[in-house]
Amino acid sequence: MNFRAIAALLAATVALAAPAHAKDELHLYNWNNYIAPETIKRFEAQCNCDVVQTYYSDNDELLAKLAAGARGYDILVPTSNAVQTLIGGGQLKRIDKTAIPNIKNIDPAYLNTQFDPGNQYSVPYAMSTTIIGYNDVKMKELGLPTDTWAVIFDPKYLQKVKGRVTVLDSANELFAAALKYLGYSVNDVDPKHWNEAADVIKKAKPYWAAFNASSYIRELATGNIWLVHGYSNDIFQANQDAQAAHRPFHILQGMPKQGAVLAVDNMVIHKDAPRPDLALRFINFMLEGRNSADLTNLIGSGNPNMDAIRYIQPAILKLPAVFPPKDVQAKLEQLKDLTIKQRRLRNQLWTEIKAAR
Amino acid sequence: MPARRPTRLAKWLISGPPLLYLLVFFAAPTLIMVLASFRSPGEFGGLAPLVDAAGKLDINVDSYVRFFTEPVFFQVFVKSAWYAALTTVICLLLAYPLASLIARSGKKHRDLLLLLVILPFWSNFLIRIYAWMIILGPNAALAKLVNRVLAAFGAQPVPLLFSSFAVLVCLVYVSLPFMVLPLYANLEKHDQALLDAAQDLGANAWQRFWRITFPLSLPGVYAGAALVFIPALGIFAIPDILGGPDDTLIGNLIKQQFLETRDWPFGSVLSIMLTLAALVLAGTAAWIGRRSAGDSRA
Repeated sequence: MNFRAIAALLAATVALAAPAHAKDELHLYNWNNYIAPETIKRFEAQCNCDVVQTYYSDNDELLAKLAAGARGYDILVPTSNAVQTLIGGGQLKRIDKTAIPNIKNIDPAYLNTQFDPGNQYSVPYAMSTTIIGYNDVKMKELGLPTDTWAVIFDPKYLQKVKGRVTVLDSANELFAAALKYLGYSVNDVDPKHWNEAADVIKKAKPYWAAFNASSYIRELATGNIWLVHGYSNDIFQANQDAQAAHRPFHILQGMPKQGAVLAVDNMVIHKDAPRPDLALRFINFMLEGRNSADLTNLIGSGNPNMDAIRYIQPAILKLPAVFPPKDVQAKLEQLKDLTIKQRRLRNQLWTEIKAAR
Repeated sequence: MPARRPTRLAKWLISGPPLLYLLVFFAAPTLIMVLASFRSPGEFGGLAPLVDAAGKLDINVDSYVRFFTEPVFFQVFVKSAWYAALTTVICLLLAYPLASLIARSGKKHRDLLLLLVILPFWSNFLIRIYAWMIILGPNAALAKLVNRVLAAFGAQPVPLLFSSFAVLVCLVYVSLPFMVLPLYANLEKHDQALLDAAQDLGANAWQRFWRITFPLSLPGVYAGAALVFIPALGIFAIPDILGGPDDTLIGNLIKQQFLETRDWPFGSVLSIMLTLAALVLAGTAAWIGRRSAGDSRA
């Protein structure tokens, strides 16, 4: 390569790199597919900046990455129990409420919770429930109920759908469901009750096709799997995929009568955020009803924003697992973080469940 | 003596960077892991402070005690070793004929065949595993064919996806090139004259293989076995994606410690045990390899 070619290449590199430095950047570390592309475009136009997104697929991944020292993120969107962990670990920056007047749009029922009293660090973003998802045609054919955890845990029902059921590959979620099935709180920490739950899971395990957290959406949508323990957003997505492919069935959400886990995801600012000013602008922007509604319309997430309701498709507003009526709300519980001793015990039981034949 | 100095310097210059690389990216993380294994897990993840609130040094062997007193972890270890061993044997049986075919084919075809062996590396590992989800799915041709054959014999239909079978098939699939390449490198160097001489002296095809080709190829077999067995022992993505409810391997267990359980010390203990198991096996393979090389010379 001669000198002139090198010079030209250098010039090109500089030219390519320059605009990126000229513009402001907001670094958003978010769940996969958890903000509508048009919302991002609108914010970029408003703040004259670029939103740089990186993704995680569960809270554990986010916590592990931050615990290992990852930096450079402005906004994170953890679930309440992970917010608790991050506050405890001193990872978050206090939010200046005067900079986010739109917080008035949030339903007070979701503010000032035990996870972050006074919302000093976090603002609710969106919600989901962990429920039953099912193939309506198959469940009707087999005459199985879809409003009880028994259909996931009781061999009496499971024998009819053997090998067509998946449950989440998450000790915390599956234990929560089993504890609810037994009539306990999802946050029950009595080891005796945990053992009972482990027994329920072990008895049901031979009937399940897999512990699955990644591909059950596709398996439901293609008709390979008929019944799942999964997240309301994912089940909504599975139905959209099934309808888009003109499948002869629907994938519906079943809210168990015993109650279920509610997950509220929150916007927080990392303590080493490079641009806390942009982060506050972003939070206030996302608290506007229209922007918040975009996400619900895209993925069927629950929405704590009262101003968003008027922008949301009526069909989604009618889903009890997404917008639970008062009597259902009373039976939903958010998962609390466990202490390290409890986490070790749960992992012990979980490993025994996984290794059991 | 002074004349030698530059060569020694050159040696250091050449071996220095890879040595430094190993030191920084293998020795240092291993050391950190060993240190972490003797500490307590932090309440919110990570590690608890080395010196606790009372000013006492917090170093203990709790995590090791847990590993050796709870049989379930050893069980998972044995299961992982069994999967890895099966994978290695199947890979060897499949790779041997393939490698000798490539080694014996003409120069022109040889390059093309080698290229085909490494072709799968051109696409992402996870995408290749997901592809198997489609191939093994209940509505795919393969599962339908297998279950039609089973039905003809009056057997119950079996799922192919989400099963130990799926895990094993995919383990063999991703590992196969690592067996073929070292075997090929070895077999390609064999002197045809030896086999001709054996034939002249009356050895049949089987005797020629078993008494000449196979012993000479042993270093390639050991190298391939190590390259297949050790990664297969620690894998977690394949059982996560294709496995059934029983398919939890040691790699999945380690992943859980660092993610869901946030228990770095115990995760470190499991990783150290895995590294030790791999080292012992690699050492044994090297020792057998050296001994058999000594035998053939004697």
